[in-house]
Amino acid sequence: MIRHLFTLIWNRKRANFLLVTEIFFAFVVLFVLGSLLVDNYRKYTAPLGYTYEYVWQVDMDPNGQPISRQDATFQRLIQHLKSVPGVRSVASTYSNTPFSFSDSSTDFKAGTKSTNSDFYTAGDDMQDVLSLELAEGRWFNRHDEAAARSPLVISKEMRQALFPNESAVGKIIRDSDNDEYQVIGVLASSYRGRGEFQELQPAVFQRSKTLVDPNDTTNFDRPRLLIRVQPTATAELEQRITKEIAAVTGGWKSAVTTLREQRTTRMKYALAPMGGMVLVCSFLIFNVALGLFGVLWYNISQRRAEIGLRRAIGATGSRISAQFLGEVMVVTTFGLAFGLLVAAQFPLLGVMSIKLPVYLAGMALASMLIYVLTALCALYPSRMASTIQPAVALREE
Amino acid sequence: MENILTQSVVRPQVTAATVTASAQPQPVIQLRDIEKVYQTKTIETVALNRVNLTINKGEFVSIMGPSGCGKSTLLSIMGLLDEPTAGVIELDGRPVQSYSDKELASLRNHKIGFVFQSYHLINDLSVLDNVELPLLYRPGVSGKERRARAYAALEKVGLGARTHHFPSQLSGGQRQRVAIARALAGRPEIILADEPTGNLDSVMGEEIMELLLSLNREEGTTIVMVTHDEQQGRRTQRLIRFFDGSQVQ
Repeated sequence: MIRHLFTLIWNRKRANFLLVTEIFFAFVVLFVLGSLLVDNYRKYTAPLGYTYEYVWQVDMDPNGQPISRQDATFQRLIQHLKSVPGVRSVASTYSNTPFSFSDSSTDFKAGTKSTNSDFYTAGDDMQDVLSLELAEGRWFNRHDEAAARSPLVISKEMRQALFPNESAVGKIIRDSDNDEYQVIGVLASSYRGRGEFQELQPAVFQRSKTLVDPNDTTNFDRPRLLIRVQPTATAELEQRITKEIAAVTGGWKSAVTTLREQRTTRMKYALAPMGGMVLVCSFLIFNVALGLFGVLWYNISQRRAEIGLRRAIGATGSRISAQFLGEVMVVTTFGLAFGLLVAAQFPLLGVMSIKLPVYLAGMALASMLIYVLTALCALYPSRMASTIQPAVALREE
Repeated sequence: MENILTQSVVRPQVTAATVTASAQPQPVIQLRDIEKVYQTKTIETVALNRVNLTINKGEFVSIMGPSGCGKSTLLSIMGLLDEPTAGVIELDGRPVQSYSDKELASLRNHKIGFVFQSYHLINDLSVLDNVELPLLYRPGVSGKERRARAYAALEKVGLGARTHHFPSQLSGGQRQRVAIARALAGRPEIILADEPTGNLDSVMGEEIMELLLSLNREEGTTIVMVTHDEQQGRRTQRLIRFFDGSQVQ
């Protein structure tokens, strides 16, 4: 029967051309969307490398305080906030805090290997603040103050890029300015500062010593604080922190947000274009479905005599229904075959910078959706075909 | 009502198969008090009115009557394509009223071959594929056997050289031969032919009639043919006339 269906469709190739074309385009659209969704899902389900619950971010404005005094004020403030009840740990960093829209990266090399990496500055308490887990070595501490080379903690991806088959701790790496750093620790996982939809890529942490450089008058990158609070912390603690900051710094302005809020904002920015794409594609697919439904309905009304004949020579109603459904599946297979040929060019040409397994998943997902869509569109017309009375249909011609 | 016009015409050459059939008549189709009423909201049309008819094994019966007298409806009911409003149909002595759609389809596939006035060939399939069609719905018949039986049926109707042509490339007579080959491929006991020469000129009509006669004579196939052609009707063993849904006897 399958051979019969293929013969029938092949012999009707001119009549089925538009249907095959429609299915081809629907597949390509779904494949692109599916690949992007699968890629984003893959990123979303990968570990962030830190926890953001009960972590608050404090932005500060020195409010005109001379820059020469700002660093000392900062250090004093950090020590003071650590003693506030409800605060568990406080760490300094710059604007590229988790889920922020700020990032910095630079090239690093070790021996013959080199890689580009996200670059973060972190205080000694950052491991506790963000619950960072180490696979090797240690986090920064005050003994690093006197280190000959700037200490670095690197992520799993960084270690794989520069030291794939050896321990990274103690190794020297250089940045693009040829400044030397020494690896003192390796994170147990990735670190994705830009949130769940960031690609897994190398990251390094440098220990912050001087937070505000007195010679830097650009105010380009102001320090921030990340504070891990107790799970019982309320808005009262937020108010108190704001007051303490003003008191200790002599009038600095501050704004407290939670990393959870930051994440929500970041998610909205990441999900909005995806949602838009899904909406547009859904509209397209809905139109394709309507078109398919119409074409199939028309085909069946044009083939009533054939249905009558098939019934006369031994086909049951359900067999007729299955035949029309089968024909649609064969037409779909032709459309998908062309679509898959085009889809196969995406990984070969590196069109969307997505990994091969994601493309394969995108192909599988799009194929499945197209089969389901065409089957749903064909179901009702096929059932209608099965109810056609053979005696009536044969008499009509 | 018309006068009784049912006639039996004995052909000059009677074969052994026909003799056997007439000696010991074996009913293959029996219709008892068959009625068919088409009903719409406003009109009730009686297509068949208490028809009683027996078709015996190996018989060649023709049914004649004016247009709209119920001949095709009768053929549809005999072919299990339509259900009567009342009455009993028996096939080989077994009533078929209680049969499911699947059982009726199987009976049509195994026992009955159809030949239609307008051929009802599928234009997108080759001659061979068209002839194979009934065997597609018969479980247990391999592709190889299907091909072999379709080739044999086409040889029998003289179209062995046209197997890969498409219906649009054939004349009307050749198309009807393909339709007959399709009916033969399933090796049915009964062929129901609804005006098989109706769309053909006299020469081609004669060819088809000869083919049907030889099938009946040589294979012993039971044939029920609806026709408008008096001459053709007279060449069959029994001629039944219909008028206004009733058998005129």
